[in-house]
Amino acid sequence: MKIKHKTLISILQWGITAVVAFIILFPLYWIFISSITPAGELFKTPIDYFPDHPSLESYQYLIENAGLLVKAGNTIFIVGMTLIISTAICVMAAYGFSRFKSKALGAAFAFILLSMLIPDVVTARPLYEFMRKVKLYDTYPGLIILYISGVIPFTVIILRNFVGDIPVSLEEAARVDGATFIQSLVYITIPLLKPAIATVCIINFITCLNNFFTPLFYSNGIQVLSTAITQLPLRDNMYAVPWDLVSAMGWIILFPIIIFVAVFERQIMDGIMAGGVKA
Amino acid sequence: MQKKNSRVWIAWVLVLPVLLIRGFTTVYPIFQTLKTSFYNIRILGGVNEFAGINNYIEVFKDPKVATSIEFTIIFVVVSMVFHVILGIALALILNMRFKGKRFLRTIVLIPWAMPTVVIGMAAKWAFNNDYGLINDFIRWFLPEFQMNWLIHTNSARTAVILMDLWKDLPFFAILILSGLQFISEDIYEAAKVDGAGAVRTFFAITLPLILRNVVTICIPFTMWRMTSFDLVYSMTSGGPGEDTALIAYRITTEAFTNLNIGYASTLAIVLFAVMAVFSAVNLKVVQKLEY
Repeated sequence: MKIKHKTLISILQWGITAVVAFIILFPLYWIFISSITPAGELFKTPIDYFPDHPSLESYQYLIENAGLLVKAGNTIFIVGMTLIISTAICVMAAYGFSRFKSKALGAAFAFILLSMLIPDVVTARPLYEFMRKVKLYDTYPGLIILYISGVIPFTVIILRNFVGDIPVSLEEAARVDGATFIQSLVYITIPLLKPAIATVCIINFITCLNNFFTPLFYSNGIQVLSTAITQLPLRDNMYAVPWDLVSAMGWIILFPIIIFVAVFERQIMDGIMAGGVKA
Repeated sequence: MQKKNSRVWIAWVLVLPVLLIRGFTTVYPIFQTLKTSFYNIRILGGVNEFAGINNYIEVFKDPKVATSIEFTIIFVVVSMVFHVILGIALALILNMRFKGKRFLRTIVLIPWAMPTVVIGMAAKWAFNNDYGLINDFIRWFLPEFQMNWLIHTNSARTAVILMDLWKDLPFFAILILSGLQFISEDIYEAAKVDGAGAVRTFFAITLPLILRNVVTICIPFTMWRMTSFDLVYSMTSGGPGEDTALIAYRITTEAFTNLNIGYASTLAIVLFAVMAVFSAVNLKVVQKLEY
């Protein structure tokens, strides 16, 4: 009787897992097979889940005619710079907020928290005009600053908690041994923060890749992958969506993300649970 | 142990870059938005004049805005109800101990990690009557099924909400899971000894213990839905007509397409005010739930 009950639960668990996996993975599989089906064979009812003539034509077209490599390069450059700079200034800020106390500093930290309440759409138009005025519209530095701004609140909050967990006595001991303030920061505090920095970077990487609002409204010539998918050329079908190209572009974005999630599952879970983040 | 106050200037140097960037990207523009909300600025008509509270009055008379607000409310409420019910259910499954746990957790992270635009673009095609995935799947069971989802109001709205759930529900569940993990095994053991069944245990123990966590998580999720833009932009472009134009989409259309900037600012300020009131009320609720 007891064994029967256990088997039943086990079947139920695997059954639910299968349903969840189907709901999430099947559409991804469909995007994949669409991307390797020649455009002419896409318009079929019912859908052919095993394409007869798989081809990489759509991918080739994206590389040759839609500037895929340039856009991928832009994305890597912008996201990379964002991660490096945001991590540096957020570690500094987290240290400042955690190790020093004053009323004004407390208010500054509260401001960082409250600024999360201000949605992008509310600031979009004036920020757009401001970026044009200071000649940062449609430039790499301008985009990078806005990407950084997007990840600051989450990063500062998480890192501040982690700095708080490092005993001050370690730094003081280093100071007694003659280390300068900068030295104690670089040789004591930052190495201890490495796991936290890694977690934050992994999550920020996803957040930045998924950032669509910033490149859509604050750039025009510089395109990244997330905006490129909405502006693909119509090839030779009459439908409003060039699904052959969209699915290929979609898969180019999704494939690295799926691998990334599979590799860093543990860290992402920890990071999400540590702070509650928004992609 | 805190450092001496005389060295607090070091802290200010350290936090300055972060404050400057956030200041310029949030505080400065929101004051600009507040200012322009009292002006009538139409770039296309070459108009730029002080309008007092005219824009604010217009907001309540504009049928497009009424549609946007209507759908935004439906979207937020329906989506959040399903987030809470299905999210808790999924979290309970994610919390179970079995061999497939890691696999399930990895899968569940994928929608969260995907850009919403990709989901929206794929959904536009997936809900196509003839060649879309959704109808193809339904036809496995109902071979005669026909439905052009995105051209009818109710089905388009349903489709948008379904995609929103697909994307964010797993993430919601993961956050609930973080609360579930703090509940000690001992309590469940005690409940079992006392003869409580699974359902009873859930309502008497699990739910009260995670309630505060759930309400707290609902705050940002509700606010993200109030300002949701990417999904509708890529999936329906607000259509059919204006029926799926969420308020955030309406604002950006006024600001960047119609170039009716004063009015767009007014809408933005109204939205921001609603969100501010909403979060203040919720913080009070969360504090009440303190135990």
